Amino acid sequence: MTSIGTGYDLSASTYSPDGRIFQVEYANKAVENSGTAIGLRVKDGVVLAVEKLVHSKLLVPGANRRIQTIDRHIGMASAGLLADGRKISQLAREEGSKIRKMWREPLTVKALSDRISLGAQAYTLYSSVRPFGVSTIFGGVDKSGPSLYIVEPSGVCLGYHGAAVGKGRQLAKTELEKLKLSELSMREAVMEAARIIYLVHDDNKEKEFELEMTWVGDESNDLHLPVPDDLLEEAKSRAKAALETFE
Amino acid sequence: MDHFPTNWGRPRNDAFDAYATHPIHQRPYNGPKDTFADGVQRTQQPIVTGTSVLAIKYKDGVMMAADNLASYGSLARFKDVQRLHQVGNYTVIGAGGDMSDFQYIQYILEELSVEEISAQDGHELGPVEIHEYMSQVMYARRSKMNPLWNSLLIAGFKDGKRFLSFVDLLGTTYTASTLATGYGAYIAQPLLRKAVEGREDIITEEEARKILEDSMRVLFYRDARSLNKFQIATISSAGVSISDSMQLDTTWSFAEDIRGYGAQTQ
Amino acid sequence: MPDMASLAHPQQRAFNPYTENGGTILAIAGADFSVIAGDTRQSEGYSIQTRYAPKVFRLTDRAVLAVNGFAADGNMFVKKVKQRLEWYRHAHAKDMPLRAIARLIQTMLYARRFFPYYVYNILGGIEEDGTGAVYSFDPVGSYEREACRAAGAAQSLVQPFLDNQIYFKNQVPAPGTSHPAHLPLPTVLSIVIDSFTSATERHIEVGDGLEIYIVLAKGRTLHGTESIGGMQELTTTDDGERVFVVRRDLKKD
Repeated sequence: MTSIGTGYDLSASTYSPDGRIFQVEYANKAVENSGTAIGLRVKDGVVLAVEKLVHSKLLVPGANRRIQTIDRHIGMASAGLLADGRKISQLAREEGSKIRKMWREPLTVKALSDRISLGAQAYTLYSSVRPFGVSTIFGGVDKSGPSLYIVEPSGVCLGYHGAAVGKGRQLAKTELEKLKLSELSMREAVMEAARIIYLVHDDNKEKEFELEMTWVGDESNDLHLPVPDDLLEEAKSRAKAALETFE
Repeated sequence: MDHFPTNWGRPRNDAFDAYATHPIHQRPYNGPKDTFADGVQRTQQPIVTGTSVLAIKYKDGVMMAADNLASYGSLARFKDVQRLHQVGNYTVIGAGGDMSDFQYIQYILEELSVEEISAQDGHELGPVEIHEYMSQVMYARRSKMNPLWNSLLIAGFKDGKRFLSFVDLLGTTYTASTLATGYGAYIAQPLLRKAVEGREDIITEEEARKILEDSMRVLFYRDARSLNKFQIATISSAGVSISDSMQLDTTWSFAEDIRGYGAQTQ
Repeated sequence: MPDMASLAHPQQRAFNPYTENGGTILAIAGADFSVIAGDTRQSEGYSIQTRYAPKVFRLTDRAVLAVNGFAADGNMFVKKVKQRLEWYRHAHAKDMPLRAIARLIQTMLYARRFFPYYVYNILGGIEEDGTGAVYSFDPVGSYEREACRAAGAAQSLVQPFLDNQIYFKNQVPAPGTSHPAHLPLPTVLSIVIDSFTSATERHIEVGDGLEIYIVLAKGRTLHGTESIGGMQELTTTDDGERVFVVRRDLKKD
């Protein structure tokens, strides 16, 4: 942390002499502290999965969801500050509403991600604001088929076949790279997503986690919905079994 | 600074005012008009209109029918318009009256549905909620003297219960086992009541369909703003289904035998 | 050919935000009870919209409100009165007294003096002193406490009948006797039922169903009236006033 004490890290409106914006990098630290979130764009849809770390046994199961619905056909998974993620989802829903009002057609995932990234970028420019402490995965099915995008705190917005953000993103990415994503079915993707989340979860450091998983595509009639319970349970048990044989 | 370009370069008074003595506040005002000012355009009459909607309760749920015509006065302007609209998983809303207002209603209900879906709280909008929402919207708009010019039927099936209700441009609401809007209230409603009242738990789906078809046929014969092309929505425990457009068999051969008015006076 | 004068001045057909939905309501106060009734037909013009649309509403265990006129306004008005009564309960941990409800209704009606709720209200129930009471209102809030009142489509048929039967107008008591100040409950119920069967007979907007609400003062029993068909108790507490409703059929033609 060479930046500390130099004074260049106090405001998002000031570069460091070597051209960095430390506030944005700190925002990425917030993302790295968070449980992993992944997205798989496959043949007939998108699957989102989150390793939701449960920091207290007092929490009700299913509380503090990190996957949210933006529109009928679009979901969003975030890693980082939970409250910032909820602000992003609010902005995203408003975007959906605006598009529907103006064009009477559903929002596309690309248009959504672009607009959200513009907002995220604006928050890297001023001393009076702090960049969003979340990386967000937007996944959905629209007129161009299944789409998957990540918006980072810097305002960078990129499309992916497989997306991973948060603590275990490096390992998750290597696992995603091994898959032939564009040939997988949604059901296969559910299995893989569960396996990856269980794999990247670090039992030694974190105790409990909940697997949160949604999908949108042919299997769900193009609606963003939670993966059905029976399928989720199957995916979990297969993920646990795969964990035994791994390494 | 006067921000309205239309006022620029004008004398303060229409008769030239060389010494600018005319009070500045008497310039033309172009800002937003007071609610009570003249010339605020509101819906004073429907333009492109749909005619009757019919609905009845039957053994397993509710059934609704409406034709596919949107009229422009007496002109049969649009002949492939759907006037039955599904909202959520349990409800159908059918509209007579102004079709652009109905399209706006479809939009606000879509907006409402998405809001509810994205809450992901395990609650779903049923016909009871849709009816309450629409009655509040319609009453609020009439109270602003800017009504949505429609008669709406709301039919649904949720949690094992049938639901059928009416809402109109005044915010008037009611429920009954048979409902009809527009001309249907005069022509079809008596037929529907005769066929349904007291038999709501006996009538089968087939019989319900026949009751509605017979009523639609009568309406087609007698209502000049109707069309022999219509749809039927069925809402039951199995969910919502809106049929494709269909036609009814009609007989007009009797027409040439009619004497006493029109072209043939002998 | 269109009249050129009418083209020069575009004629305005203003939207009429009101309609009349027919039906009739009435209420009669006894010494220690109150009866509030209404038919259940809702109509517009010559059409019956529905055979069952309640016009009489239980507000509290001691107050019942009957609303007649423009149904949409009526429903909205009742909804808002009920909301205000709930707020009162949250603030004061008790139900609002009848005379306070009456003044509340006048305030709410007069607040809309220049875009009135097009409804005639009759409020019936039990006062804090245990007496039966009826309050009647006009659409903009003028009100008074009375012993009986009819309103709505058949007001002109029913009110003279009540004047005669309740106030004993145009009746001369037998020498050495006087008219009773209050009638007993069974007599009142008979008068109510007769009023509605008669109104149904002679007025096309009245009929289908009859809902009679009975509010009894603390400690009073129904004595003798329990046997009446279709009665149902609506009371929510067990140490105060009691509310009952009687549902009967009226002719549907």
